[in-house]
Amino acid sequence: MTAIDTQSSMPAEDLEDLYENAPCGYLSLQPDGRIVKVNRTLSTWIGIPAEQLLGKRLHDLLNTSGRIFYETHFAPLLRMQGFFNEVALDLVTVDGKKLPVLANAMERRAEDGALLFTRVTMLQAAERRRYERELVEARAAADAAGATIKAKLAFEQQTAELREEFIAVLGHDLRNPLASISAAARILRKEKQTDRAIKVLDLMQGSVVRMSGLIDNVLDFARGRLGGGITLERRAEHLEPLLRQVIEELRFSHLDRAIEVTIEFDGPINCDSGRIGQLVSNLLGNALTHGTPDEPVRLSAATVDGKLELWIANGGAPISSEAMTGLFQPFFKGEAGTSQRGLGLGLHIASEIARAHGGTITVSSDDKETRFTFVMPLD
Amino acid sequence: MTVIDRNHVQVRGDGPCAMIFSHGFGCDQNMWRFVAPAFEDDFKTVLFDHVGAGRSDLAAYDARKYSSLAGYADDLVEICRALGLTQTVFVGHSVSAMIGVIASLQAPELFESLVLVGPSPRYINDDDYLGGFSAADIDDLLTSLDDNHMGWSAAMAPVIMGNPDRPELSEELTNSFCRTDPEIAKAFARVTFTSDNRSDLPHVTARTLILQCRDDIIASEEVGEFVHRQVPNSQLVVLNASGHCPNLSAPDEVISAIRRFVR
Repeated sequence: MTAIDTQSSMPAEDLEDLYENAPCGYLSLQPDGRIVKVNRTLSTWIGIPAEQLLGKRLHDLLNTSGRIFYETHFAPLLRMQGFFNEVALDLVTVDGKKLPVLANAMERRAEDGALLFTRVTMLQAAERRRYERELVEARAAADAAGATIKAKLAFEQQTAELREEFIAVLGHDLRNPLASISAAARILRKEKQTDRAIKVLDLMQGSVVRMSGLIDNVLDFARGRLGGGITLERRAEHLEPLLRQVIEELRFSHLDRAIEVTIEFDGPINCDSGRIGQLVSNLLGNALTHGTPDEPVRLSAATVDGKLELWIANGGAPISSEAMTGLFQPFFKGEAGTSQRGLGLGLHIASEIARAHGGTITVSSDDKETRFTFVMPLD
Repeated sequence: MTVIDRNHVQVRGDGPCAMIFSHGFGCDQNMWRFVAPAFEDDFKTVLFDHVGAGRSDLAAYDARKYSSLAGYADDLVEICRALGLTQTVFVGHSVSAMIGVIASLQAPELFESLVLVGPSPRYINDDDYLGGFSAADIDDLLTSLDDNHMGWSAAMAPVIMGNPDRPELSEELTNSFCRTDPEIAKAFARVTFTSDNRSDLPHVTARTLILQCRDDIIASEEVGEFVHRQVPNSQLVVLNASGHCPNLSAPDEVISAIRRFVR
């Protein structure tokens, strides 16, 4: 079939019928706003015969709020622009029901600019209105949820700050009585004591060392979380005497344990020696706690190829691969069953100290040994 | 930010006396686009947007200050003082008619005469007083603004399209007038339609012209007559224009009525 055939075989569009029974409502207003023509579609929607609508005004078909908004917003807009599009209106049907529509309007003017007609087209918009209302409700719900989350977050933040302040204060306040105990033990140690008392005093001194290490860690952690981070005071220092002192302190509080030490440094090392001491103390303390008592803990420290390499190894059950992933997280505790004597901050602080020095701590663990290795560049 | 920027104040003309145009609930100073230019030869014309409307500074919107018409009247007085105006002719449409009345009671020296276009001191019926709306109607309006502000706000920002028939409308203007922040529109509707300024009317000392339209559903003829009876030195002119915005639908009538009054 050719195009011409198609045209000739089609019924001609009936424009009168198109107007009256269009799939949208048509309305024409005189310059004074009165309805001069309305199509059957619209009069059917409203339920009022077209001839009864003639002479009425558009606002007679609207609900009160629609009238107010029409008069104060859309009528002026129409007059200023000559048109408006997609205006949401509610028609009121003969039985008092609301019929949501979207209206477009356009002014038809004469050559001299005088207003002839205002033509209005309306589409039913119940579904769109429902959708819009759902969006409004969804937004209200989202706003409410957002407000709740914000309030919760603020509460959590406050709690977290309080907790960290508490830790910091606790750390400070624990130091003083601990220093008193330490001083008291030293004074008693200088006086004549029974063998039994000397042994007790040694144990006390060991506990003091361990506890002050724990407090250092707590304080560092609290400070780190409070925004200070770990700060370093680096300078070139002979590290060996300091390491030996740290090792002796720990040996003293673990008299029954063997610690094998190898240290080979070429010269002074640029670092924060206090922090490196703390790192070693944490790793060594860890090895003594978790290692099997019948095997020695081995420590090796050396400068090799422009790097400081320090490792500490112990025998005993290997660290599970599960535990391995969280090892350096704060408050990490090993598997149930192992002795849990620390706060779980030692490895975290040690890794932070390593990081602050531009170095790393790695760990390997199997049936033979568990080894923590600290490597940092020498400059 | 100065008052002038805050209210997007526009001054034109260079007559000895100032004529201030104040728009009502709905659009912005564009409402006066067919009226104000007619007075530029004889007057200094002053147009502005209420805070929250048109190109005013939305950030200056203060829910507490603008919870009553007095807040808007304060702005009007501030504008007059900032421009050094006294003895002005104030032309206020719709709710701005009452804003002008309040301002004239606050600072009588600033307002020599008032032109009130479609004024209403109270929109809600009250015993013998017929404001045109029931309390339920106004509740319905406020609720519908609450419920359906998406619909309204979409309608507030009309699609910009070519408008060859009306070349005087620049695209920029087409985009801006009658657009209102839905939250502010809601608050302004509440202030406007729940106000009651009937008791202020007998105290007005400025000479007053009341312009009343036929078939104005917002401010009916009864309301116009009420205002006329209550304001001591007032004239009432009933325009041939219908609807609530004669400044747009019948600007010539409005212009000649004002001319006769100020002459």
